Amino acid sequence: MSEMDRRTFVGNAAGAFAGALLVAGCKEAPKSVLPAGAQVRLGLIGTGSRGQELMRTFLRVPGVRFTGLCDVYEPRFAEGREITREQTPIYHDYRELLAAKDVDAVVVATPLSFHAEHIIAALESGRYVYGEKSMAKTVKECDQIVETVKRTGNYYQVGVQYHYATWYRETLRRIREGKLGQVTQVYAYWHRNNNWRRPVPDPHDTKLERLINWRMYKQYSLGLMAELGSHHIAFANEVFGGVPESVVGSGGIDYWKDGRETYDNVQVVYRYPGGKTLSFSAITTNAHEGAQLKVFGTEGSAVLTEADGMLFYEAKKLKTSAVTKVLINHGIMTGASYMPEMPYRGKGEAVPVPDDVEGNANYLACESFVHSVLTHQRPEADDQLGWGEAVAVILGNQAIEQEKRIWFRDYMPKKVEASAS
Amino acid sequence: MSRESNPIKTTVGVCLGAWARLAGMCLALLCMQIARPARPGQASGHAAQRSKLYVQSQQAMGTAFTIYLYAGSEEQADALYGAAFEEIDRLDRTLSNYKPDSELSRINRLAGREAVTTDPEMFSLLQSCLEYSKRSGGTFDITVGPLMRAWGFFRGQGRYPAPWQLDRAREKVGWQKVQLDTGARTIHFAVDGMELDLGGIGKGYAVDSVIRQLRTAGVKAAMVDAGSSTIYALGAPPGEKGWLVRVPKPGDRSQTISTVLLRDESLSTSGSYEKFFQLNGRTYCHIMDPRTGEPVEGMLQATVIAVDGTTTEALSKPMFVMGTAEGAKYLAGFPHVSGLWVAGEIRAPRVVPWNWPGCAGDCGDSLGARGERKANRQ
Repeated sequence: MSEMDRRTFVGNAAGAFAGALLVAGCKEAPKSVLPAGAQVRLGLIGTGSRGQELMRTFLRVPGVRFTGLCDVYEPRFAEGREITREQTPIYHDYRELLAAKDVDAVVVATPLSFHAEHIIAALESGRYVYGEKSMAKTVKECDQIVETVKRTGNYYQVGVQYHYATWYRETLRRIREGKLGQVTQVYAYWHRNNNWRRPVPDPHDTKLERLINWRMYKQYSLGLMAELGSHHIAFANEVFGGVPESVVGSGGIDYWKDGRETYDNVQVVYRYPGGKTLSFSAITTNAHEGAQLKVFGTEGSAVLTEADGMLFYEAKKLKTSAVTKVLINHGIMTGASYMPEMPYRGKGEAVPVPDDVEGNANYLACESFVHSVLTHQRPEADDQLGWGEAVAVILGNQAIEQEKRIWFRDYMPKKVEASAS
Repeated sequence: MSRESNPIKTTVGVCLGAWARLAGMCLALLCMQIARPARPGQASGHAAQRSKLYVQSQQAMGTAFTIYLYAGSEEQADALYGAAFEEIDRLDRTLSNYKPDSELSRINRLAGREAVTTDPEMFSLLQSCLEYSKRSGGTFDITVGPLMRAWGFFRGQGRYPAPWQLDRAREKVGWQKVQLDTGARTIHFAVDGMELDLGGIGKGYAVDSVIRQLRTAGVKAAMVDAGSSTIYALGAPPGEKGWLVRVPKPGDRSQTISTVLLRDESLSTSGSYEKFFQLNGRTYCHIMDPRTGEPVEGMLQATVIAVDGTTTEALSKPMFVMGTAEGAKYLAGFPHVSGLWVAGEIRAPRVVPWNWPGCAGDCGDSLGARGERKANRQ
């Protein structure tokens, strides 16, 4: 999507934006056509749990090598080198990593509150950036990242990997073809039954606790909304073709009263133009629903998980037909009436996946980023997609905190800017 | 990863399978009793007096992983379990050949067509596998999948294959047909349609990874049990010399043929009595001899002790395939290794120890069978 599109997209909340994301999303994920023998040297800022998973995944893409690991927690360096199986240079300060000459592109997997600082500095240093979701912690920071991408011409890819999942792409294609009729609702769940904590070597060390369990603290995190909601919100934005108009929400620290500051359960309802809605729920006390996303249209439904997708079609509406005279002569029978309105329990149709695209969502997202770096193409899950996802996360959280409906129009870049561009 | 099959076709199989599961649970309970917390005055150190024994179990890699560990509090134990099971899950998601989105599945689908790049951990594990294949004369082989299918043991109870099925499977089997390029970190299959199955090493690898994690976290005594086929004992329960592990009589886990004390080492067992079929008086088990492309005959169980889980798991199947004489020679090439075979028929099993702890005397007597102790180098 061009900058012009984004301005249009965010400038006319009433509906003009609807097409913009659609255009970007319609393209198929790029296929593996990496130039043979090309090398990409990656620097990683944030070598924690997610950073390590990204390292493993990136290292499965041909030509990738990690040439710099940055963290503020010493044990991470040994863990990172265990993954690269080499003496990868380490940095305690991200600025030193960015000053290194042998880093072609940067991966940012730090706590949310540091995203903008690290992403912007990396973009400014001339690198493309793969940044973990959510894009940033405030609307202002999100705007700054978009501005930096535009000004520097260096691309940013947001780590919402399901954007690249083949079953997500195929479902989106079918939705756009109208296979589910008019899509009016998306229900998304990320339900877990655990305290969402990571083990801390010394639980009494409060500094270490905040460092490792940063997701629990408002200073660093937007909690469940950002860490889990962003994936589903990014997809709903694609389904509905833009960002929501408003959001209401509820949440609290109601079960895990262990000193955490971020909610242990959240429920938010986003309204998109035309009364379309995304309902998102994240809880930490029951895992029955797991992580899934349901798309409801007038003709059918899609259920997407982290591993696959299923399509279901609505029962055909009954047709009007002629009645014989017998009815008039004999009448009809009376009696007790009850027809339970049961959930659909029939079989669905698995979302077919193309057999020439291999790899799970993480792999495809990483491969696509490497592709971007080598071919200088704008990533599919770019700063625009990241902006939409992150701003919805931020305002969703705000709606819960302030206990009121939040309007997106109050946070859109000014119309003047749109016309100026 | 190989997954335990159910339901089992033959009557004998059902019986044994059910017993095996029941006895497995008994074994777990037994271990808990054996590894009881120290009584006051009995403990050797002050740390031991404070810590208590905990247990948690989770499904992964087609079996149940059970971790026993001593920790200062339930909270501390919970944190250790959280990290341990997350690591096992991570490896399952990477090494599984049942999960379509695992790294191994990606390799399996692509490597027949092109050289596939993988991460250093996976690459180095595959390198070890080929090394084991080479050293074991091809009795350890992660490419036997097509043979397992031909013999009906992939998610089934087995059947005699047609000659053409066997021929076709043999074409796609052979560790020499897996080409690794260390510089590029790529895997390529010389023949399309080949597939890798890490079921004979992955659980041991996961056990080792968890043990490393527990050691780093400062745990002094723990036991990690991967579906009872690979068990690692870290340190010893307070006041004890090690963790007790019992080797069952094949097909009857209520009977013990040997009890060993494990400490900072691993034990693995391969057995043929869970999955097999009989035809014309012959018994065909699910363990293949990759050299012949046919199931191993005349062997019931092979148990091995060595320094870590990856080693024991990778040694137990070759031991089973080679049998006692060739197997003993093979084991002799590894440091600190002990082996125990149960050969013959299930009604008349023979116990054959090699360098087996505490087996100089009456090992195997509980079977009412004479152990062959010639091979015992103790």
